[in-house]
Amino acid sequence: MFKKLITSPEAHGTELSRTYADAELICREGESSAEMFVIRRGSVRVFKASSRGELELAVLSKGDFFGEMSVLEGLPRDASAQALGEAEVLVMTAGALLVRLRRDPTFAFELLRRLSGRVRSLNARLVHAIGNGGDTSATSYTEALLYQSEGASSKAKPREGAA
Amino acid sequence: MIIDTVQERLLVISDLHVGNPYSAATRSLGEFFEFAESGRYNVCINGDGFEILQARFASLATESAGVLRAIRRLIDRGLTVLYVVGNHDIALENFLTAWSGINITPFLNVTSGGARIRIEHGHLYDPSFVQNPRLYEWLTRAAGPFLHFYPDVYRLWTHYENARQRGRQLLRGGKGDHSVYHAAAEMLLRRGFDAVVFGHTHQSEDVALASGGRYLNCGTWVRGGSFVEIDHGQVALRRWGD
Repeated sequence: MFKKLITSPEAHGTELSRTYADAELICREGESSAEMFVIRRGSVRVFKASSRGELELAVLSKGDFFGEMSVLEGLPRDASAQALGEAEVLVMTAGALLVRLRRDPTFAFELLRRLSGRVRSLNARLVHAIGNGGDTSATSYTEALLYQSEGASSKAKPREGAA
Repeated sequence: MIIDTVQERLLVISDLHVGNPYSAATRSLGEFFEFAESGRYNVCINGDGFEILQARFASLATESAGVLRAIRRLIDRGLTVLYVVGNHDIALENFLTAWSGINITPFLNVTSGGARIRIEHGHLYDPSFVQNPRLYEWLTRAAGPFLHFYPDVYRLWTHYENARQRGRQLLRGGKGDHSVYHAAAEMLLRRGFDAVVFGHTHQSEDVALASGGRYLNCGTWVRGGSFVEIDHGQVALRRWGD
């Protein structure tokens, strides 16, 4: 077991490619994992369980990434991800992410840009909630955080000649 | 700042080095921009468009005025002009967002006809630049006067870099056929790109890499001119004038 752990590609900061069949779960909400994913082929649906049933957060496509929160914080998955049709993903552990950031610095830029966008969006929601005289308690903010879960920002697709 | 963009028809040029007295770009770009306008292509300048590092200010101001007018004309005709920052015009990073209607950005992820194409200048993968950026900048500035004797100093530098890399690989027992830019492109292709377009080396290239993706380099406009044409996901390297 130990030998398998220290000789696995993941232990050497190597990225792996995995293929998932249609509807196969890539990661499950609440599970502990330290991997993030970049979609190389196909589409992935990101969803979350809520009191009103399953809430679809985003449908991601080639080039999009998800699961970075678990790698960066070491916390359980905040949402589930499922392949839509056959999907191939690049799997990165924290070690592989660090190697990539060294060799592909623009990936760090894209990652931070995503996180920055989420903070900006949440701040706007908070200000909006306060402006409307709504519930400004921690619970309200937490709900907004939950809504802005992993990958949600990818719903906004770029436009033709977008400026 | 634009990073993700959909561009069905886009022309990519790089390394114009406008301001370098020996750059042919100022003489030939007018016709190239007319070609872009007539074909309704948006235009991307993939780094080192303006020679801010080596050229004298007077020369840069004189030479760039005409190019900026031509770019303005494209924008007025409803076309988009994107500018990816390189290492000779890194000062333009201070204008990330929009400068006189030009969208300035560190790199671009272009979606075209369902294909994903990364456009980046490529200096971030130049070992000399990454290992010692200050020395690199100093050497670049110091090389300025040599342009008056031999305008292709950049290309000479690329040959030197390649030879150095090959030597290192041979010493390690490798085949000596490895390019740092091809390796960088492979890294990017693994992230779901179909093609990677760099500039920086002044060597135009169109290479099918082992992973199945493609690496293209726009080459330079210091002498002659080459460009990458993206048309509904089809990517091709072209020589201006062919």
